[in-house]
Amino acid sequence: MECKEKWAVEARNVTYTYEGSGRRALDDVSLKIAKGKKTAIMGENGSGKSTFFLCLNGIRRPDAGEILIDGKPIEYSRKGLLDVRRKVGIVFQEPDDQLFSASVYQEISFGIMNLGVDTDTARQEVERVIRELGIEPFQDRPAHALSGGQKKQVAIADILVMHPQVMILDEPAAALDVSHTRIVHEIIEKLTEQGITILMSTHDINYAYEWADEIILMHEGKVIRRGRAEEVCGDQTALGEAGLEEPSVLRMYRKLLERNLISRCTDPPRSLRELETML
Amino acid sequence: MIVIDKLCYQSGLRYVNATEKFVYAMFSLLLCVLSRSVWAPLLVFTANGILTVKKGGIPLFRYIKLLLIPAGFLLVGTAAILVNISKTPLDAFAFPVGTWYITGSRASVLWGGLLCVRALAAVTCLYFLSLNTTMTDILGVLAKLHLPPLVIELMMLVYRFIFVLLETASAIMVSQESRLGNRTFGSGIRAFGGMTASLFILALRKSGALYDAMESRCYDGRIRVLPQENPAKTEEMIMIGAFEIVLAALAFLV
Repeated sequence: MECKEKWAVEARNVTYTYEGSGRRALDDVSLKIAKGKKTAIMGENGSGKSTFFLCLNGIRRPDAGEILIDGKPIEYSRKGLLDVRRKVGIVFQEPDDQLFSASVYQEISFGIMNLGVDTDTARQEVERVIRELGIEPFQDRPAHALSGGQKKQVAIADILVMHPQVMILDEPAAALDVSHTRIVHEIIEKLTEQGITILMSTHDINYAYEWADEIILMHEGKVIRRGRAEEVCGDQTALGEAGLEEPSVLRMYRKLLERNLISRCTDPPRSLRELETML
Repeated sequence: MIVIDKLCYQSGLRYVNATEKFVYAMFSLLLCVLSRSVWAPLLVFTANGILTVKKGGIPLFRYIKLLLIPAGFLLVGTAAILVNISKTPLDAFAFPVGTWYITGSRASVLWGGLLCVRALAAVTCLYFLSLNTTMTDILGVLAKLHLPPLVIELMMLVYRFIFVLLETASAIMVSQESRLGNRTFGSGIRAFGGMTASLFILALRKSGALYDAMESRCYDGRIRVLPQENPAKTEEMIMIGAFEIVLAALAFLV
């Protein structure tokens, strides 16, 4: 019997330096990400989030340390890498760097075709994902005629079609308008319900606080703080070091408490709506 | 080119089986070029006009504008056949210039006319294909014809990235213009140079990023995607077959 592994992803003392760069992009990073959980990675640009993501599915190989996926260290052989990439999918920040085909349908089929399934299964899967993510209205349009938000939906479908255990989203809401941000957030919510472990980088502390189970703060290639969302968001020194501010709901809650306008409860509110109901 | 790309996605014939369209266009083109009579090319010219404008819904003025481009080249090309310079006037026309004539014979005028009609009709075949078929569909047909996968994969990537780079280039140019980069001819040249240089660097960066993204989806050096095809319809195939037979008869027997 295989023992049920609790951690979807584990990094042990991972260090990575880009060629020709004097600075470590990742500096002794150790962390564990629990299965089925929602984790937000936060930190300024260049703090090592994207590099860390690329290490997680074997695109970059750490100079030192090791990465375990589902309890097994990544093997950097052809077969080992295929196995890791099947389990860990990355939705890249810039959809134009990810979409290689002008046809939405063919674009989405690429990943699953690489898994060696037969065409009928692949077709079913592609069509399922297209339906599930609401891509139907623009599935016949060429990639260059899609809006940023639509491209992002396709980029998520690209990965989802491969049935990953872990889905990494690199700033999924970057440069999206409000309605598409909402669509993407709803999709992410659905993915969690399906039991997919989600790892997301974002600059939006309010969203991260509301959404995430765990928050990891990175700064200059190091993990400076990690823990439950409410713990991390309560740690103003760590937030400041990562270039972040306290979530506005939490700040509001604190001020209201100071003025005795509200009674303290066990869990601080996670969203504006929660705060409203408390009032 | 971008106009053609936009139009083909809106064409009423877009969802007609691509192989059918390809076969129709290629056979008609071949028969046009081989035709000894003027009737076959004229038929093709008319048929393509009707198909593209009426069935495909491509605006007529766009279609005419597109046809004027090759027509210009054709006129220049055939002028050499039509026009002779000689001391004796020929039977079709003759303009005296000093003791010489700019002149042409009836045979050469007919020959030039046939050439013109043939070439233009052949061009309408290609326009029919490109105005009513998306690039992705054409690539699908080429794959069916067993073109080397490498060539098809390259075409696929080139097609996609034309638009990505074009978008980047136009964004850079807008930002240059908004800073008066094109105020004088000299600064315009410099701005263009700068744009090209940064486009090269960006292209390089993008290709790296694309490779990473493809690798993370288990890319192994071969781009495998699901072929997409609209079903071929028997009546369409019969009509194409009949059309080509009539065309062949017109081309060789009349």
